[in-house]
Amino acid sequence: MKKRILIYLLFSMLAMLAFSSLFLGAVTVPVQEMLSSPIIWTIRMPRILLAALTGILLATSGVILQGVLRNPLADPYILGVSAGAGVGAAFSLSTKLNFSFLGFSTTPILAFLFALLAVLVVYRLSQVTERSSPETLILAGVAVSSMAAAILALIIILSGKLQSIYFWLLGSFSLSSYQDVLVLLPYAALGLVFSYFYSKELNALLLGEEMARSMGVEVDRIRFSMILVATLMTAAAVSVSGLIGFVGLIVPHLVRLLIGPHHRALVPVSALSGAILLIIADTAARTVLSPMEIPIGIVMSLVGAPFFLYVLRRRRMRK
Amino acid sequence: MTALAVENLISGYGSKKILQNLSFEIKVGDFLGIVGPNGCGKTTLLRVLAGLLPLWQGRIKIGGWDVAELSRKEIAQKVAYVPQLMEPVEGFTVTDMILLGRTPYLNRFSFEEEEDWQVVKAVIAELKIENLANTQVDELSGGEFQRVAIARALAQEPKLILLDEPISHLDIRYQIKILKLLYKLRSLKTVISTFHDLNLAARFCNKLILMKKGEIIAYGRPDEILTAENIWSAYRIKAEVRRNPRKKHARLVFLP
Repeated sequence: MKKRILIYLLFSMLAMLAFSSLFLGAVTVPVQEMLSSPIIWTIRMPRILLAALTGILLATSGVILQGVLRNPLADPYILGVSAGAGVGAAFSLSTKLNFSFLGFSTTPILAFLFALLAVLVVYRLSQVTERSSPETLILAGVAVSSMAAAILALIIILSGKLQSIYFWLLGSFSLSSYQDVLVLLPYAALGLVFSYFYSKELNALLLGEEMARSMGVEVDRIRFSMILVATLMTAAAVSVSGLIGFVGLIVPHLVRLLIGPHHRALVPVSALSGAILLIIADTAARTVLSPMEIPIGIVMSLVGAPFFLYVLRRRRMRK
Repeated sequence: MTALAVENLISGYGSKKILQNLSFEIKVGDFLGIVGPNGCGKTTLLRVLAGLLPLWQGRIKIGGWDVAELSRKEIAQKVAYVPQLMEPVEGFTVTDMILLGRTPYLNRFSFEEEEDWQVVKAVIAELKIENLANTQVDELSGGEFQRVAIARALAQEPKLILLDEPISHLDIRYQIKILKLLYKLRSLKTVISTFHDLNLAARFCNKLILMKKGEIIAYGRPDEILTAENIWSAYRIKAEVRRNPRKKHARLVFLP
């Protein structure tokens, strides 16, 4: 029941943060003018919602990848899934392929296809030997990320939209609209529901692939579909919010320290914490050097890369 | 009543054939020990029986059910597997770990219910590990962890419990403790385990299979199996069988 209290606590924290973040920014809005202020309702509100949704998508995606790959270092950014999604999204944004069909924009779909390509390559590369170390997966991710970065750079140069695509790529919520929020909402909902009900399988996998199999889990089928879901969530986040790294690494790690490795709690608590983390990071991004904004991708990399090194070091020390 | 019937089993890893045409049957309540030199296929046989390796040819029947016709979940409700080594999960308590054994009984949209907790409690009581229930698994000693691993398998409520060298990395006190536990379990479940220590296996099992190069070279009661000829043909080691006239257990003394 400790976990339930924690969830309530995090919810209130999220609400409080979101609320106070409404009043933080380059322009000061007095509380009594809140209801009539366009700055609050058309600029800050969608921005906060978008940051929260992006946090949910990336953190949940990290939980899923770490669970099914049985790799504590897995994260959509580190594995090159985000970069793959970036290639697809940039391709769509820079060509005439970017249109809407039945309310679904083509950008997340192209982002998904390229992200899927990236994750499959990384997965295959890391499975060369039967017992590859967790680090092999990361190396494969590095290779695929560099490849994707090169292609991205090429797309940006050839497209002639250098500035707009580059700015999106660095990760930012500054041009958010309710439209963007609506694009991400179904992906976040789908991913959360799916990973919540598959938390049993993720728990069984904690004991290893073979043990999970012996407890009736169809490991290959479940790994495949869970990777699909994580990739879809990442692709949606990237296509709207750009490349924001390390959320999927930092959040599950900290949450695990707090509540343990049970996925039934890990999934919702990580989602909430991901939302909180990105709201804080985004508020920092737009207030620290105000009136100038730092792209949130930069903020997260400044925080996330040292955290990644810390996790690596902790693993080494334990061996 | 037949607990397990194996007919003409052939299997292996990748394209490498390991098990050559094995057939045997055991009854409900048997405690079967599988012995033989390293690489003879003991573990492979266990893994095929647990449904973790594909059956190339032949048939496995558990309590009359043909394993080939069962889903993975159904197999997991009949057979539990305790591997030789299991990594303790950081942050898991003993209860958490045992509860995982209920996985094959959970539906897609449900989680552990009262009934599952009852099973876990019963298993903890049966193995007398109440004092460990809230201990973190990575703080257990090797022997304690092995008991918890067996408890997790029992929470699957299997008909058949398969163990891969459950005592080879334990001290003698825990070796005997685990063997006594398995011997006791035998009244409820059918137990199959691989062993290295022939004398201990003979002391506790009521049936032994002696394997060599993927084949069964002898199958029967321990005192029938552990003969100087069999040991020589399996291990190329000279041994002398000594019998305790009061108790009927055969004991091997090796003469290297």
